Amino acid sequence: MIGRRLGLALVAVLTFVLAACGGGGTSSSGPVEIAVWHGYQDTEGDVFKGLIDQYNKAHPDVKVTELYSSNDLVLQKVLTAVRGNSAPDVAYMFGSWSPNIAKIPQLVNMSDVVSAPDWKWDDFYPAERQAATVGDKIVGVPALVDNLAIVYNKKLFADAGVAPPSPTWTWDDFRAAAAKLTDPTKGQYGWLIPADGSEDTVWHYVPMLWEAGGDILSADNQHATFNSEAGVKALTTLQQMAVTDKSLYLDTTNENGPKLMNSGKVAMLVTGPWDLSSLSDIDYGVQVMPTFAGSAGAHQTISGPDNWVVFNNGDKKKQAALDFVKWLTAPEQVKAFSLGTGDLPTRISVGKDADLLAKMNEKLPGSATFVENLNNVKKVRPQVEQYPAISEALGQAIVSVMLGKDQPAAALNSAVQAADTALAGK
Amino acid sequence: MPALLDRVGRSETLSGWTLVSPAAVLIGIFGLLPVVMSLVLSFQHSDLLTPETPWVGLDNYRKLAEDPVFVEAIKHTIVYTALFVPGTILVGLFVASAMNRSVRFISVYRTTAYITMAVSTISQGIIFLWLTDRDYGLVNAALNSAGVQSQPFLASPTQALYVIVAMTIWGWTGFSVIVYLAALQGVPAELHEAAAIDGATAFTRFRTITVPLLGPANLFLVVWLTINALQLFDEVYATTRGGPLRATTVIVYYLWDRAFVQFDAGYAAAMAYALFVVILLITAVQFRIARKHAHIS
Repeated sequence: MIGRRLGLALVAVLTFVLAACGGGGTSSSGPVEIAVWHGYQDTEGDVFKGLIDQYNKAHPDVKVTELYSSNDLVLQKVLTAVRGNSAPDVAYMFGSWSPNIAKIPQLVNMSDVVSAPDWKWDDFYPAERQAATVGDKIVGVPALVDNLAIVYNKKLFADAGVAPPSPTWTWDDFRAAAAKLTDPTKGQYGWLIPADGSEDTVWHYVPMLWEAGGDILSADNQHATFNSEAGVKALTTLQQMAVTDKSLYLDTTNENGPKLMNSGKVAMLVTGPWDLSSLSDIDYGVQVMPTFAGSAGAHQTISGPDNWVVFNNGDKKKQAALDFVKWLTAPEQVKAFSLGTGDLPTRISVGKDADLLAKMNEKLPGSATFVENLNNVKKVRPQVEQYPAISEALGQAIVSVMLGKDQPAAALNSAVQAADTALAGK
Repeated sequence: MPALLDRVGRSETLSGWTLVSPAAVLIGIFGLLPVVMSLVLSFQHSDLLTPETPWVGLDNYRKLAEDPVFVEAIKHTIVYTALFVPGTILVGLFVASAMNRSVRFISVYRTTAYITMAVSTISQGIIFLWLTDRDYGLVNAALNSAGVQSQPFLASPTQALYVIVAMTIWGWTGFSVIVYLAALQGVPAELHEAAAIDGATAFTRFRTITVPLLGPANLFLVVWLTINALQLFDEVYATTRGGPLRATTVIVYYLWDRAFVQFDAGYAAAMAYALFVVILLITAVQFRIARKHAHIS
């Protein structure tokens, strides 16, 4: 009896050990297999899988496999995989991680690769190229581009008798309109801002800072400079709307924006094209962000381009991965993807395609304005690895002012101090 | 071969170890090994990105003592634990006592009480976000109709932590109800009958018979809930993300933020070990107190 039990246990152990050892087989013949990790679901997922099928059919010597991985968590997963020597060959990564992922040894520096003329690197928007560049490294190829603009509810504007946003709007006009569109009895607000203090809060403030003529860091990236006059001016605008006018809904949980917009509780959002598809219940318009009267900053916006990042899993796979990414980001595929998903085209030449813009606008009104607004992306956030710490300090400052706990100058000064400490140390 | 197996098999110890080895190996690899490795990590500087992890000795621990956000996180964690643990126990005991009788449809009530445990933390977070929304939430609608002004709740640096306390008490009540129900049903009915004959009121019987016999359940709940309270993360992540203005930044949330947002894994590991030592000490104290006062076999 005991013997039989032991036998069973041995079988169990053996099964376990064998199963654990089973994964290591690699074949030297057959197509080169490359793994692509991405965060596309629903429509985007279908279009993306369609492109991969198309590539696999045309290239019998390569087998591209795709794996869905939530974009928010992909960095943690990639880091784990890199440590376990099982990194994906290609992964979709947020642009804000670039300075940090540039330090991963297995990352393929694309700077020599994309300089080949057939990559048409200059055809990517400048902001995308800057966001992919860290020092002398190019960490990836633009996978997605977006920007912020005003999305407004046409009916609420008409009901309140307010003229819809125009390209000549200043922030004063914006503030006055938001105040008129606010009605506490109906629970209606003029504007909504993500106020959890995360980068989502920060990147709504940063284009205002730029428009007012300021910048986050000094030109040499050594010191924080957002407590400049321009920085205070931009934050004061937010303070006036949140604290004085109470026309600004502070979305401290960062969950409510599109839902409240779609239910007619908020008249304006400053957001990107990704929210348009959730606004199916309202008639909305899209307009570029306002300017500060008399500021040389003029119209600006911010873009958060994301990248396809290639990891080195041996020369054969690396080459196959580079070939695939090159194909995927070529104008033809960029156009097909934009047409299928409504995502903004990542290439300038495709963005000029009037026929495509008309089709995109028909599917999702306002898309064309977002594409044109890409020309207002003049700056990118600093590509330093301390950016998360800087963003955190700035985010806390912005929220404390909007909650009425602090004054703009004082809050920005202490955030600059924290940012400088982060920049100096490490 | 069978003869050999027979001979080896006679050793009970060997066959015992063989049987537990699959589980032991798994626990070793996925449980103990990371514990040891994160101790090592806490003495290193690691950004999780580069393979170089220079040894920095006690630097991470020294930095902890000087970090105002960490001190704040400790305060929030203590306030949270001090409210959540007694709250969950009292509410659970009350509900369990109310259910420890034969009423019609009792199983429906019991299931209802436990069902909060089946709600995922994320859903729970979203439910509470909307319930307590400043402008559109049901709670404020109720307050307004009672003539009270709308409260910002999770959007307020002074109220958010207490809303999370209330939310987690709601979420954990089902758990303490089940534990207490089991314990209450272990209280012999004869004791109550005898005391009732001697003229003891229901309250006296509850205080002098039921409560002492609940000792083991109390200890279990206090220890279990305290450990969970000190490790609060999901509920904060799902609702406030540590805000507004860090008002709900508790230790584990801050630890996660340092490791995976700020890329400072060594520092985060030091934080985890500081928390581990605190949990170990608190649990030891709880056991000691409980041994003195409760009937624990």
